[in-house]
Amino acid sequence: MSTETGGQLTQETDSHKERLLLVIDDNLKWVLTLPALLTLLGLMFYPITRAMYMSLFRFLPTGNEFVGIENYVELLTNESFLESLWITAKFTTVSVAVSMVLGFGIAVLLNRNLKFRGLIQTLSLVPIIVAPTVIALLWQLMYTPGGIADALTSSVLGGTVQWLSNPDIALWAIVITDIWQWTPLVVLVMLAGLQAIPEHVTEAAIIDGASRWQRFVDITLPYMRQLIVLTLIIRIIGSMREFAKVFVLTRGGPAGATNVVSIELYHEAFQFGNFGTASAMALILLVLVIAIAFLFVKIARVQF
Amino acid sequence: MTTKQDTERSALATTNDRLTDWYQALIERGTARIGVYLVLALYLVWTLFPVYWMLSGTLKNRSELLASPPYLIPPNPNIDSWFQLFAVRDSFHIFIINSAVVTIGTTIFVVTVGTMATYGLVKFDFPREAGRFWLPFGTLATRFLPPIIMVIPLFVIFQNIGIIDSWIALILSYSGFTIPFVVWMMVGFFQELPDSIVEAAIMDGRTHFGAFFRVVLPIVKPGLIASTIFVLITSWNELLFAVILTQTLDAQTLPVALATFEEQFQTNWELLTVASSIAMLPPMAFAFIVRDQLIRGFTMGAVN
Repeated sequence: MSTETGGQLTQETDSHKERLLLVIDDNLKWVLTLPALLTLLGLMFYPITRAMYMSLFRFLPTGNEFVGIENYVELLTNESFLESLWITAKFTTVSVAVSMVLGFGIAVLLNRNLKFRGLIQTLSLVPIIVAPTVIALLWQLMYTPGGIADALTSSVLGGTVQWLSNPDIALWAIVITDIWQWTPLVVLVMLAGLQAIPEHVTEAAIIDGASRWQRFVDITLPYMRQLIVLTLIIRIIGSMREFAKVFVLTRGGPAGATNVVSIELYHEAFQFGNFGTASAMALILLVLVIAIAFLFVKIARVQF
Repeated sequence: MTTKQDTERSALATTNDRLTDWYQALIERGTARIGVYLVLALYLVWTLFPVYWMLSGTLKNRSELLASPPYLIPPNPNIDSWFQLFAVRDSFHIFIINSAVVTIGTTIFVVTVGTMATYGLVKFDFPREAGRFWLPFGTLATRFLPPIIMVIPLFVIFQNIGIIDSWIALILSYSGFTIPFVVWMMVGFFQELPDSIVEAAIMDGRTHFGAFFRVVLPIVKPGLIASTIFVLITSWNELLFAVILTQTLDAQTLPVALATFEEQFQTNWELLTVASSIAMLPPMAFAFIVRDQLIRGFTMGAVN
């Protein structure tokens, strides 16, 4: 008796299971895609819409007041925000320029039959995968007064440097950490691009008697243009949103000298509770990022 | 007679010329080679020294660590600091647990959901070429978003629904911006996968859903491993969301502990070196497994 019921039960669950599997298969495209689409909708698109909405309000302890585009108008005439944009621009320009030139140069040197090339590629991963927070601490340890950075530079500079507490130097001390983090990435990307240049093209040029420099200008650069522009865009976006290293090393100080946009935004939102103004800042940053990326794509006529 | 002498002389001259040319080339190529190796050696030292400095710092005591001039090699190497960190800062292991839970939770969720969605979008028909055109374009577009745009609205949303300062808040917010990574890395694998493989499995009596897990996933294993490690590293290293969305030991992660070490524990460099090293080692261990695919991920697929 009991065994019969048990048998019936398993049969029933089996058919339930089968029916469920059939239902899943009939709607498979939605079963597969909906979880991710909903996650993106809820955690990416909704927050961005919400940020746009919040940017139209002034947040007060008594409640939120609708102010329209006033936050934007105030920001674009606000000296402290414009200053932080300027600091971000300096930070980004120098870091991107130096890391691109260094990275491209080293990639060109690596693009030949060398021993250890694979090893150098592998070791280049190190700064890319170390947490930006840790990168900041690596350099903070080296920047300690009388520390290794001073020991290496004092003979040239004739004395110790207040790397992180001198307002004229702190930004550049952080730029160095950014260059350290990103140059290896440029090396790896550029090296991959260089190796994708078809060998027969280079060989034909050598037979035609083209010099090393001519080959660089007439073959390497045209082949690499698209990749160079893409890398530039990636680098610019990366440095424009810099947060972790500045947060750890200086929190925007000394005297606001390293107050990049994301740090200004962080203080505005979480120190002063001005979520409206902070959201407006984030959207201005987004517009700038898109505009710059678009500009580069247009100028270089890159096709994706 | 004279002609014979002339030929001899000219033969000698050409040999001489050849010798000079050969010698010249040797010197040029030799010095060029040495120059290349010198630059690359400098690059490697520059890239690896900060990491060496931190790791070797864990073997020094406080006065050795901050000695001026610095000790390049630990004078009395010992691992006391490693034990001290956990003995003196008895809450430190909680940060590691929080980091591990959030990282593993995010990775499982994101890789599962992201892989399923990519397969669905590539292999099924959606309106307006969703899978073939909008999917790659859309994922690339999300990479331009500064994450700071999402963090303020997410803070407000999570506070409203009462999950601020929890593991789930971090897992959800990391999922939002890492799903596009997974899609980006997997899309090529699924596009290359012939439909006939799945059709054969269905003929064998599998459901399509079952075939996806038993037949498709093993084939795209390299992509899965790369995506997994990529999401692991990204979540393990994340600071911005963690520092804003967590406030207590309930959910604060390792990067938050490191970034606020000064406030929480005072600057104890000999302990901070150990804490930084703990944060640094897991990504390094993972990264070397899947070097090439990781490079592709970190460069937004600029290298194909």
